[in-house]
Amino acid sequence: MSDSTTLKRTGLPLPVTIIGAVVVVLICLFPFMWMFVSSIKTLPELYTVPPIWWPETPTLGNYYKVLFESNIPRYFLNSVIISVGSTFLALILAIFASYGFARFDFRGKPLLQSFVLIGQLLPTAAIIVPLFITLRVLGLVNTYWGLILVYMIITLPLSVWMLTSYFKAIPVELEEAAIIDGSSRLGILFRITLPLSTPGIVAVVVYAFVTTWNEFVFALCFATDSSVKTLPIGLAEFSTEFNTDWGAVMAASVVMTLPIALLFFSMQRLFVGGLTAGATKG
Amino acid sequence: MDRNSTGLVFVLPALIVLAMLIAYPVAYTGLLSVTDRQGEFVGLANFRAVLSARATPQAFWNTIWFVGGSIVFQVILGTATAILLNQSFFGRGIVRSITLIPWVVPGIVAATTWAWMFHTEFGIINYMMTGTGMIPEPIGWLTNGNTVMPVLIAINVWKLFPFVAIMVLAGLQSIPKDLYEAARVDGANFWQEVRFIMIPQVRSVIVAVTLLLVIWGLNSITIIYAITRGGPANRTLITPIQIFRLAFESTQFNQAAALSVIFFAVALVIVIIYIRALASTPGEAK
Repeated sequence: MSDSTTLKRTGLPLPVTIIGAVVVVLICLFPFMWMFVSSIKTLPELYTVPPIWWPETPTLGNYYKVLFESNIPRYFLNSVIISVGSTFLALILAIFASYGFARFDFRGKPLLQSFVLIGQLLPTAAIIVPLFITLRVLGLVNTYWGLILVYMIITLPLSVWMLTSYFKAIPVELEEAAIIDGSSRLGILFRITLPLSTPGIVAVVVYAFVTTWNEFVFALCFATDSSVKTLPIGLAEFSTEFNTDWGAVMAASVVMTLPIALLFFSMQRLFVGGLTAGATKG
Repeated sequence: MDRNSTGLVFVLPALIVLAMLIAYPVAYTGLLSVTDRQGEFVGLANFRAVLSARATPQAFWNTIWFVGGSIVFQVILGTATAILLNQSFFGRGIVRSITLIPWVVPGIVAATTWAWMFHTEFGIINYMMTGTGMIPEPIGWLTNGNTVMPVLIAINVWKLFPFVAIMVLAGLQSIPKDLYEAARVDGANFWQEVRFIMIPQVRSVIVAVTLLLVIWGLNSITIIYAITRGGPANRTLITPIQIFRLAFESTQFNQAAALSVIFFAVALVIVIIYIRALASTPGEAK
């Protein structure tokens, strides 16, 4: 930093900072290290006192069990279908809604905008019961569409919020020029506004995908058949199905965490940027 | 900037979906709460039944305790971490990324992994604590009624303090440099900078984040349900789990709806009081 030449640095002493950083990293990472180590242990090594830090004979047996002898692969597929489906749907709806909120004035706009955000404020537990009944009437319990739709409640409000602030940041003059050239509103949205807000789109996609991939409560209530159950439910029932075979549970946890970790780290910069931009501007 | 109806057309699809999934169920909950299984109007009978259940007040206090305890530590630890990660040191970018991991991973994964670590016999935590002499003998963290709630709060704090950290960090980064320079000219030390510059400047971020934490806390079924399902002896039963159990284990949809209405009303009152209290305090201007 060049400004430190003029005045002396007043931050925390460097050793304190380093120790603090090490402690934070340990707290955040240790459970995952332990998860991984446990997942490659054999049964006798899992159940010993004192616990073993690193297995003498690392095994892939737990992974074999998870990938070939359980329902986890099927649940993985279900999770992918449901997460991709609801992310895509939320993105389409959010693009139009955000564009409407960002670029137009119409009667009741503030009211409608706060209605969208109320979805974020609603305790999910309070609407599980009526949602279940609604889905049953529509014949959507235990279907992909049921969960895809229900996840709109979680993903849509924040997606609209994030995208609206992105669209607002794009200069209106660009669009006005296009209008003079005779472009339609939709043409402008798709040819000018969207390409300019790629970071916002990525942020919304990552947010929606991660949230739906991780979601537990709705899936527990609305997907009770193994043809539509998602990974979180699979992991929860693993403990009963195998009488809590902790090695397999930890292997399943690794399988479930990997995609989300990969997605998150490849997109992290954009995602955090989009999220915090919305928060600090709002 | 444009005609009236075009904007509405853009907004409408999302609004219809949300109305179908939120407005309709909320209204329907109200209806369910005052009817019985056959749809007959029964007045407040469901509310009376729910309120006289012994589990209800217990779940209510457990919820307050769980949400309140979690938020205090999430905000303190999150803010401290943000201040730490705002210092310049080698490898800061990587540490920032790593800090986010607990928040990004599925709640159910966090729950099962911590449950395994807190295992009474084979858990690493009992081993480390007995090994270093912090506790004389292994503790049944998740089966002992006195330890189970603090442990669940700790897991919940671990899961969400990264979110506070990243948001506060973003706030810290937007503080104008000249504020620090002015303070340094006046000879301020680090703690004075924290107290008189950083905290006041990120106050609005902390306020917004806390509101989100309240709402998420009231929604957080996953960790508790996956680890204890409300046990032992209802010691960790929180209201959302009670609603879930009423509806899907005892299939008392109408009583579950009545409890949902009460829960929703209390949550709404808390949120409104919170927003009012903060809107009226000074230092909000941005």
